[in-house]
Amino acid sequence: MKLLTSYNRMLLLVSALGLICIGFLFYRTLSFYLNKQIDSNLVEELMEVNDFTHSRNIVPAHEQFKDLVIEYKKTRHADTGRKFADTVFYNPKKKVREAARYLKTGVSFNDSNYQVQIFTSKVEWDDQIKSIFMVIISPVLLLLAVLLLVNRFMTRRLWRPFRQILESLKTFNLNQDKSFEVIDSPVLEFRELNQAILDISLRIRSDFKEVKLFTENASHEMMTPLAVINSKLDTMLQSDRLGKEESETLADLYKATSRLTKLNQNLLLLVKIDNNLINEQEVVDISTLLVERISYFQELIQKRSLSVISTLNPASLNTNRYLLEILINNLLSNAIRHNHEHGHIEIILSGDGMTFRNTGIAKALDEHKIFDRFYKDSGSDGTGLGLAILKQICVRLHFGYNYMYNDGQHCFKVDFKPCAALTQKNQINIF
Amino acid sequence: MKLLIIEDEESLSRSILQYLTAEGNICDIAATFDQASEKTGMYDYDCVLLDLGLPDGEGLELLRQMKKSKKPDGVLIISARDSIEQRVQGLSLGADDYLVKPFHLSELNARIMAIVRRRNFNGSDQLEFNEIEIDVNSKEVKILGVQVYLTKKEFDILLYFVTNKSKVISKSAAAVHIWGEDADMADSFDFIYTHIKNIRKKLTDAGCKDYFHSVYGIGYKFQ
Repeated sequence: MKLLTSYNRMLLLVSALGLICIGFLFYRTLSFYLNKQIDSNLVEELMEVNDFTHSRNIVPAHEQFKDLVIEYKKTRHADTGRKFADTVFYNPKKKVREAARYLKTGVSFNDSNYQVQIFTSKVEWDDQIKSIFMVIISPVLLLLAVLLLVNRFMTRRLWRPFRQILESLKTFNLNQDKSFEVIDSPVLEFRELNQAILDISLRIRSDFKEVKLFTENASHEMMTPLAVINSKLDTMLQSDRLGKEESETLADLYKATSRLTKLNQNLLLLVKIDNNLINEQEVVDISTLLVERISYFQELIQKRSLSVISTLNPASLNTNRYLLEILINNLLSNAIRHNHEHGHIEIILSGDGMTFRNTGIAKALDEHKIFDRFYKDSGSDGTGLGLAILKQICVRLHFGYNYMYNDGQHCFKVDFKPCAALTQKNQINIF
Repeated sequence: MKLLIIEDEESLSRSILQYLTAEGNICDIAATFDQASEKTGMYDYDCVLLDLGLPDGEGLELLRQMKKSKKPDGVLIISARDSIEQRVQGLSLGADDYLVKPFHLSELNARIMAIVRRRNFNGSDQLEFNEIEIDVNSKEVKILGVQVYLTKKEFDILLYFVTNKSKVISKSAAAVHIWGEDADMADSFDFIYTHIKNIRKKLTDAGCKDYFHSVYGIGYKFQ
């Protein structure tokens, strides 16, 4: 629920309840006072009737005037108590039945007792109440409506800095050099929020930089000892007294050293991509590059007796050749290495992207984890960085990438022009 | 050949020295900027191996100094830093090649030989080993004067082995030389075998002796 909706909902609920209570009380009070007024009029009429009877000693005729009806009835007991009440009576003037108030009492003269009932119409009074009520209540309603509108407008305005902060937070990217935007707001709370986020982002960025620097330095520092190991191995290899056992040990050492070297190089490559150190742009003919790369891997393909089917439509991109080459190398060497003997590889290139499909283990890989650093299959003897590099290159070159498993084939797809709508979907709309 | 090894990591420079002197070269060692500066100032070398990160100075500064005094020495930079900028900077300052650590000694030797050949023979880059004649520029191989056709990879392997003759070259070193470091080839060194088998066949068919010797499945020796 949006902030404004929840606020409005509460406001409307409370004001509706309040309005009902106040309206009810107001109406009751008004009716009470008006009834008192009518009653005193009725008493006046009664006094007139009394004057009339005492001065002339006769009961006045039934009278009907001014929405007033007076009735007499002879009774045995004299009951001079007055009783006021609401009723409905027939208005002979208007010839309709309408709401009325009456006064019932007794008069006695010449030893006769009479019951007097005086009716008076309440319609006009009621109309008056309604008018008064409307005059008071409508402005209140109007005021409420205005209040809601102002609220709407003000929250939009007041919360604008918050929205901007949220937007910058969503677009915040550790790998981009763009720092967190400072938002100018007169509201203290927003300024504080902004400052707090700014501080955090700076701290995260510097920590991140340090980690990257550490990785870079550590990898670099390892290169010289690795060079020493390598050169010593090469020297040992020249010995004439090398037996079978020693040779095998040497072969294992070579393998381990080369893996360690590869790992280091990959880590350095990741740092370089992260730091955007590789950014020359040129127009690259991807189909030619793919053909070249496939022939580069020819020995590997032949050794595993793989069949490669490539459907290459002409496609060129203005991008970084070096990164694109690594991307293709990684995809291709994965498709070869994680394949089985006599397996298949299918490569499809179009202007929008390229797809690598290959046979391999009959089980889908975990698509959420394969692009993580150092995630690898238990059977794999790679560095576990190949797909992490692929991901990083795609992010850097603004490519889309995904993995699918169907029909027993692993499929990696790289999208050269990821849909623009996808990026728009993330737009912020909190009000 | 006279070579100067400028490298502060002593165990590394000792290995390089050992490998290169066995080839019949005369090698000098410098471990600091000052020593290196002194030696390059006093003597002429066919090739200088230059480590960029010296304890008391920048290797590139030394390179600048050498080029300023118009030294004819070939320069091969050996560095743990592998950034494009540094490569470009090194090469544009006049270095002949750039080799990233870690490297195989056979690779280092092949690079040095290439530099020296280029400098000494001014374009006509020829190599001979008994009945084998190799023209590096046109990538042609002749056995007893008759041309043998090799693929690009086969030619590269042959050249690599001839330059490192009578040395054992590990499969790993040969693989890195042919495929470079960017492909993950940890499990693929056996391919070298196929190539060497093909080269052997082509050469022996042309009347060449078989110079390739397998060393316990770990590598090969050309002798």
